[in-house]
Amino acid sequence: MTMGMETVDPLLQVAAVSHSFGGLHVLRAVDFGVPAGSLTGLIGPNGAGKSTLFNIISGFLRPQRGTVRFEGRDITRDPVQTRTRAGLVRTFQTPKVFGKLSVRENLMIGCYRHLASGVVGNMLHSRRSRLELELMHVQAAEAGERFGLSEVMERPAAQVPAGMQRLVELARGYVSRPRLLMLDEPSSGLNTKEIGQLRELLQRLNREGITILLVSHDMQLVDVASRVHVLCFGSIIASGAMAQIKQDERVRQAYLGV
Amino acid sequence: MSPLRRALVWGIPFLVWATLPFVATRHIVDLLVFAGLYTIAGLGVAFLLGQCGIVSLAQSVFYGIGAYCTAWFCAHKGLPSPVGVAAGIALSTGIAALVGWPILRLSGHFLALATLALGIIGQVLFLEWDWLTGGTLGIGGIPRIAPFGFAFDTPLRFYFLVWPIALLLLVLHHNLLHSRSGLALRAMRDSPEAAAALGVDIHKLKVQMFMLSAALGSTAGSLFAHYVTFVSVDSFAIDRAISFLLLAVLGGVYTVWGPVLGALFITVLPQWLSRLGDIHAFVFAAALIAAVILLPEGFGGAIRNWWRTRAAK
Repeated sequence: MTMGMETVDPLLQVAAVSHSFGGLHVLRAVDFGVPAGSLTGLIGPNGAGKSTLFNIISGFLRPQRGTVRFEGRDITRDPVQTRTRAGLVRTFQTPKVFGKLSVRENLMIGCYRHLASGVVGNMLHSRRSRLELELMHVQAAEAGERFGLSEVMERPAAQVPAGMQRLVELARGYVSRPRLLMLDEPSSGLNTKEIGQLRELLQRLNREGITILLVSHDMQLVDVASRVHVLCFGSIIASGAMAQIKQDERVRQAYLGV
Repeated sequence: MSPLRRALVWGIPFLVWATLPFVATRHIVDLLVFAGLYTIAGLGVAFLLGQCGIVSLAQSVFYGIGAYCTAWFCAHKGLPSPVGVAAGIALSTGIAALVGWPILRLSGHFLALATLALGIIGQVLFLEWDWLTGGTLGIGGIPRIAPFGFAFDTPLRFYFLVWPIALLLLVLHHNLLHSRSGLALRAMRDSPEAAAALGVDIHKLKVQMFMLSAALGSTAGSLFAHYVTFVSVDSFAIDRAISFLLLAVLGGVYTVWGPVLGALFITVLPQWLSRLGDIHAFVFAAALIAAVILLPEGFGGAIRNWWRTRAAK
């Protein structure tokens, strides 16, 4: 029975979420789910409410109405770090790398949610503290190699090119071994070739079992998603496979302008 | 670095440190003891500023709490000095947690003003609660630290007590910076949102660091009480908090040993300049301004940058 429930229940479920800024209704009773193991896309034109919805899911904003459930648990009122510890990890539209830290240290901190040593243990350089440091180094080196960052590992993250900073952020998210990786416009600022590489990377991560929610207005990138939800003026107007979505009359009108 | 150079880099400062009190006058050694005490309290202020971006003007309160706890437990109650130190740390961290929890939700100037308010409240309470602190008359007769009958009762002896303690605390601080918590601190400084999105509980970490800073202030205060054997409200006024902040900024908040240089600057230099007569206060002020303008990362930062440039060549 339980097994059956798990396959039916999505990893993330957004139910009847509404939010407005002043008199402006940004989200109107939005419902959608992200099944475990999927690569789900959320698209919509500028001003559709994507970022607001993204911030509500990741905990940076509390919705005025509705609930967000993760693995069946209501997380609507949980702070950001609690959601992260539960395995919901996000990136930012403008990459937020830790500029003064080296790329290696940026990746090391990805492990944070899995570690538990305290301030006093860290000061005393306890056994656990040393083991954790070792683990962080190993994971950072592995991710660095995997994401093609080995060459720049010792450079301050603020000093690597913008496209690479996006990769650093993605690699950092990967190191955190998330249950759900939420990517906010990961292709902005990338050229066509880099977008192609990003597509492959996302597919590979997804094949390895990381559930991905991709928020973007970039059709070329969202093509990789197995299922896409279209957000327009605060409502989901269509859901389905990309090919199906592209044929939808309302989507064509609202989003593609044809 | 070759082993020889490493030996020189560590050995020369050590030799200077070990021989200095034997060649310096008693007065200079006394100042160096104060530099040690200020290093400990200033370290707390420096890492709050450097790692968390918190400007603290409340360190004089925790310095005072440490000193009064030691005075109370050791002079009045006749208990051994570790009791005074531990009580000071317990009370200081407790107050830091209680006050820090609400005020550390503020940031920037507002937070600095909130810590200033804490500093001023502390100063007033130290004066008004004279049944506890002795007010302006203070509390005297604080016993020396004397483990196994060996009393640290001269500047020279205390010098060899306070600096190893300061060094130990600097090492612990270094360990902290190069650990899970230290990485989280530095990440939080660069981008709080991204740090939270990786699971760092920013508010909790800030409160913990405020408590740690308070513990350092209190430890320095306890040692101070044992050294001068007399404490009064004058030693814990707001100007002391400004001195701690000043030494942190001057020494540089991004290096572990910056506070040592800052503490030496504000304790030894004014005395050394006093031979210039009336003009010395002006010269010291000019030196302060020049240091802040010319060395924005403090002495520690300037030396580190010079070292890195040299190594790169």
